[in-house]
Amino acid sequence: MSIPIDWTVAGPATFAMIGALVALLVDAFYPRRTWLGSGIPATVGLLAATVELARGDLPSYPFAFSLIVLMGSLFVVVASTIKNFENAMPPGEYHFLLMAACAGALLMVSASDLVTLIVALELLSLPSIALVGLRQGDTAAVRSAWTFFLASVTSTAITLMGISLLYGIAGSLDYGQLREALVDADAPDGVVAVAVVLTVIGLVFKLGAVPFHLWVPDTYLGASILVAAFLSTVSKAASLGALLTVLAVALPTAQASWEPVVGVVAAVTMTVGNIGALRQSDAVGLLAWSSIAQAGFLLAPAVALSTPYGLSAPTQYLAVYALANLVAFAALAVVLRLRGSTRLDDLRGMARNDPWMGIPLAFAALVLAGFPPAVIGLVTKYLVIRPVVDGDHVWLAVIMGVNVMLGLAYYVRLVVTLCDRPEGEPYVSPSPPVSVRITKSTVLLGTAALLALSVWPDLLLTHLP
Amino acid sequence: MIVVALVVPLVVGFVLIIARSHVTGRRAAWIGAATMSVTLALYASVWEGREQNISGDVDVAWVEPLAARLHLGVTAVSWPFVLMTAFIGVLCCLWLVADDTSPALVGLVLVVSASSLGVFSSRDALLLFVFFELALVPMWFVIAYWGSGDRRRAATRFLLFTVAGSALLLVGIVIGALRGGTLDLADLRPTAIAVVLMTLGLAVKTPVVPLHTWLPDAHSSAPTVGSVLLAAVFLKLGTYGLLVFVGPSDDIEVVAPYLAVAGAIGIVWSALACYAQDDLKRLIAYSSIGHMGFVGLAISTRSEVGVAAAVFGSVAHGVITALLFFVAGSLKDRYGTTSLAGIGRGLYGRTPWLAVVFVVAIVASMGLPGLAGFWGELLALRAAYDGSIVLPSSVSWTAVGIALLGIALTTAYVVRAIRLLAQGEPAPRETDRGLGRREIVVMGSLVVVIGVLGLWPGLILDLLEPVYVVAAP
Repeated sequence: MSIPIDWTVAGPATFAMIGALVALLVDAFYPRRTWLGSGIPATVGLLAATVELARGDLPSYPFAFSLIVLMGSLFVVVASTIKNFENAMPPGEYHFLLMAACAGALLMVSASDLVTLIVALELLSLPSIALVGLRQGDTAAVRSAWTFFLASVTSTAITLMGISLLYGIAGSLDYGQLREALVDADAPDGVVAVAVVLTVIGLVFKLGAVPFHLWVPDTYLGASILVAAFLSTVSKAASLGALLTVLAVALPTAQASWEPVVGVVAAVTMTVGNIGALRQSDAVGLLAWSSIAQAGFLLAPAVALSTPYGLSAPTQYLAVYALANLVAFAALAVVLRLRGSTRLDDLRGMARNDPWMGIPLAFAALVLAGFPPAVIGLVTKYLVIRPVVDGDHVWLAVIMGVNVMLGLAYYVRLVVTLCDRPEGEPYVSPSPPVSVRITKSTVLLGTAALLALSVWPDLLLTHLP
Repeated sequence: MIVVALVVPLVVGFVLIIARSHVTGRRAAWIGAATMSVTLALYASVWEGREQNISGDVDVAWVEPLAARLHLGVTAVSWPFVLMTAFIGVLCCLWLVADDTSPALVGLVLVVSASSLGVFSSRDALLLFVFFELALVPMWFVIAYWGSGDRRRAATRFLLFTVAGSALLLVGIVIGALRGGTLDLADLRPTAIAVVLMTLGLAVKTPVVPLHTWLPDAHSSAPTVGSVLLAAVFLKLGTYGLLVFVGPSDDIEVVAPYLAVAGAIGIVWSALACYAQDDLKRLIAYSSIGHMGFVGLAISTRSEVGVAAAVFGSVAHGVITALLFFVAGSLKDRYGTTSLAGIGRGLYGRTPWLAVVFVVAIVASMGLPGLAGFWGELLALRAAYDGSIVLPSSVSWTAVGIALLGIALTTAYVVRAIRLLAQGEPAPRETDRGLGRREIVVMGSLVVVIGVLGLWPGLILDLLEPVYVVAAP
């Protein structure tokens, strides 16, 4: 038996895996175990994967999601340089796991049958769990990893259950054949509905949506900040991409059974996430809860997948969200390195006494909030509300509007804290190493991109599908 | 020209905020006044006559996939709002010509004024929304840093209420744009549900009773220029929004009765609240709710007279309330309080000119014929009395009845305020002093404008004659 391999799909992931292995080998055989020693192979691997992606001819949506995954991973790898000299974090393993997860994410968004999807999901999940608990001697991190692991395997098991039911109904796991088989399935509607909903659960879990959201704040706070950045952008991009593809390609005929579920989950997710974020006093916790709320916004347009903007809106929203979130997390990583804390009280006045990190952080928060002058944030909010209205789900649109308001309450609180008058001189590490500068420059580059997009939103909107 | 008029104050404002330690407050205020004067002059000269539907039209592609354009221009409805805003901006900067001014405050005033001007001159709904939100965070800082009392709380409550309103407005805009095919204000086609959402959102901003609870705290906690901008300019964002989003819609009849009755109740409510106030700034803040009630009533009729009444009433309220808040600011500078009891009686004998200005302002606010406040109220009542297709006469006559009761109560609180402050046996204090130079300039020009608008209402009303032809179904 020969298994056909579609190299346009597997190509980028293969390069990412090669990068991962080289990073691990360099670290094993190069005695000094420096950060750059494994960081450079990882970076090269990601760049090669990007070239391979651009060379191939993936359909537009998998291409867009793969691009977001690759760019996000690249950002995380480069920004992780800040961990240089941080002895608790082994560089070889870190890069290996990161790249393996990235390969899983790439496969996940371009999978076209459910088995590949599950394998890719595991390839993404297991390294992610290890990444969370990787820091040596940190029991909080290990506990977070355990929570993450238990929640993850449970939801994967549920998804497998759904997939086996689907296989029983349709006799195939290929997206295209599933779609046809579900048109007039022999099985009763109830069984189809259960199978579909169970299948979707695992993906919703990776997205961090309610009711599988509690692992998010716990994990993000326990993991190192850039791992949290990876989970909140790359991992989320992969699961959103896979979910939308499954819903749009494999299960459109069962829309009646998943549409209400997706709508309610989106509405509850954004509300719960925002209310949770309102209570945070730590910037990382705030971003963790806000990323749950953002998952709701990403999920909401799925109720109108069949309308003209149903697929493009979440893709574009995701691209902007990912960039802004990466900038914010990387800026916080720098803050943690230099000031030793990310509590809101310790960030007070940062836009005044450290404008090069404070202003990017404030701007990223405004983008996430969708508040001018960050026009691109507002435009993407508009984009995700539009298909929802177009699909006649005005109730959901109103809930989204209310949640834009709730979100503003804490994002603006962060912005105001950053712009406030500082209380005394903050502690700042006296001699930051060069590696901090690399992370700082990624933050500034990301902010520059966000600014450019705010001035000219077309730059993104006409180039992403 | 409009682009220059908008960009110059924004840029100067940001530069003043960033370079606040390199410039004295007095000089910053002069720079601000000069900037706003340039803007005012540019806006005044942009008008091309009322035959032209949009004057100073600028139309550039912006966000293609959303069909959003950078479309700027002034119409017969927006031009009076624009001139009033720019004028108030100049006066606010002149008011800040003092040694204890913070340059950053001047910068924020410029940013807030320019954003509001942007709202009035946008012809694209998304652009309008961007400007609408842009002014909020600077305003938060104005209240929270330079205000008094429980200012942080007041500022935050103001921000959250307004943002909640604008979130609903955004959903309404999305629906309207989907049905209309573009985001151009003239082509929005909001459905009934969208009209309800937009009205709710803008009613928070206007404010319409019972969504007004943020207003008294914000207005009374803000510094003088903050109160002036909030009352004279920010509330107009709400009424202007109602005029452009809700007014032209065919589905206005869904909300018109509620808007009319809520407006009329607002008049009574505000008069009662004013009668019970001891704090002058809170009194002025509550009186604004009544004036906005008249405007809401006028808009709900969707008639020629109604639109004219709404525009005139908004502009007149802008200049009158600005004058009242400047007077309150002067009193606060002298006596350190705005409590009626704390200021004491007999201002006629203690600071005669300030008392005269105060009385002129408050009787103008009451709607004395011959002053600016009169025409807006008269026309609003006239529009409601006439009734219209969208507003059954049973409802509109009820509203007129309630409004008349409100007018009687308004007279009562005005007389009370005059008696408690201006009249009575003067008890001189050492801080009594005549009007300073900047006070004479700022208050004098506002008194002149109030008189001119009162005697020649045609200055604004003549602009609006053709609006009916455009807005008719």
